[in-house]
Amino acid sequence: MNCRDFDTALFPYLDDELVENERANVEMHAAHCEGCASKLRSEQAVLSTIRARARDEAPRAPAALMERISNNLAAESTRSRRRQLARWSVAAAGVMTVAWVGHLEWQAHQRRLFVEEAARRHARSLPLEIVGQPEAVEAWFGGKLDHRVTVPRIPNATTAGARVSNVRDRQAAYIRYETANGAMNGASAQPRRVGLFVFGDESGDVSVGSLPDPDVGSSLGYNVVTWREGDVVYQLVTDLDEADVRSLLPQPNAATRPTLDVQPASFVH
Amino acid sequence: MFGLSKVDTKRQNFEELLKPWLDGLYAAGLRLTRNERDAEDLVQDTVMRAYRFFDKFEKGTNFRAWLFKILTNTFINTYRRSVKARSLGEESERQSVEAQFFSADVTDQAQNPEEFLLERAMSADVLAAIDQLPIDFRMVVILADIQEFTYKEIADILDVPVGTVMSRLFRGRKLLQKVLLSNSNAEATTVDLNAYRSRKMLGG
Repeated sequence: MNCRDFDTALFPYLDDELVENERANVEMHAAHCEGCASKLRSEQAVLSTIRARARDEAPRAPAALMERISNNLAAESTRSRRRQLARWSVAAAGVMTVAWVGHLEWQAHQRRLFVEEAARRHARSLPLEIVGQPEAVEAWFGGKLDHRVTVPRIPNATTAGARVSNVRDRQAAYIRYETANGAMNGASAQPRRVGLFVFGDESGDVSVGSLPDPDVGSSLGYNVVTWREGDVVYQLVTDLDEADVRSLLPQPNAATRPTLDVQPASFVH
Repeated sequence: MFGLSKVDTKRQNFEELLKPWLDGLYAAGLRLTRNERDAEDLVQDTVMRAYRFFDKFEKGTNFRAWLFKILTNTFINTYRRSVKARSLGEESERQSVEAQFFSADVTDQAQNPEEFLLERAMSADVLAAIDQLPIDFRMVVILADIQEFTYKEIADILDVPVGTVMSRLFRGRKLLQKVLLSNSNAEATTVDLNAYRSRKMLGG
């Protein structure tokens, strides 16, 4: 083994990744080459110091995190269990009533979580991954999500761009619009940012109605309007007040072109 | 009344398997996202994904590596910029950091005062230095030196060949050493150098 090979083998040696005869080669070389022996001592000292420091300083997870995770897992399990419950006979009606009331509360809680998450992600103003007109945005989304994405046309607003995002643990399309100048709150108003999340929800986690009867909630100073069209959920997030928000909603049963055309890829035969 | 359903059992099993690794997931997430709020989100997203895929996990195999694979994938897919921007940005990011730290002068300086480097490693903020590494290097350093996975495990987690792990780890650690040496702490630097010089004189 020469000094050059020694350099290459040094880290694997210190990481216990070498087999026995390779280890022996390293040690034999160090035995008669003071330069490399010194390098070995030095790297060993630095590496173990770095590891020890990193271990000592590594933060523990906040206590609330495990709690929140447990709750999310429980809610996830509850949903599966309730599906099982629903298959039981009418004789279990008494139980069903209690289960139904709990279910309504649980649904409201889930909706609330989605509203908060949408508001939070919109508030973050993460950079757009594609800037441009709806056609460019739709082309850009091609193949990126599990379902095809069509950019809904919003009255009084233009499409600014989009990115791939998440709402809770599912992938979503995030489309940003800007209101047309002066369209809201008087002629001198600045264009306002409007965010729209679009994601597939085949399992019905988000229990909201279709337009024109959406769920309206608020979080972090934003209004969040949530509705669904079949298996697809839409969440519109904006800091405009509720009256103005209503005027942004895509018209249901819009004329020629369907504004909402998102089919989960798995359902396409 | 209905007893433990299959779903409850699944959830309990999952939580039991998860609990020992939550701190590690969070610690890694924090180095990746560099932000406590995002780290929590990343861990939650990771755990929910893992739970949804739990049926596909082969019981008895390496659960920790499986979790961290989901963590790194979730990080890359969720918290990073688009693919194109990512590869361009990271490449130039890496080149500029390397250019900065691998110039001949810096290399010479770093080779000589080995004890100086050790003192820097002991006194400096190691985690902050790790945070300064470009993401490709940061990921392997996190997995190897904070989480202490083997090369093979890291290769599985990141879905790259072992040779790539070794070369990124070599360069990442070298870069980390340069960062530790150059992170300025003027007072400590002066004291360290003086102490080092006087020790060198005494030691001969």
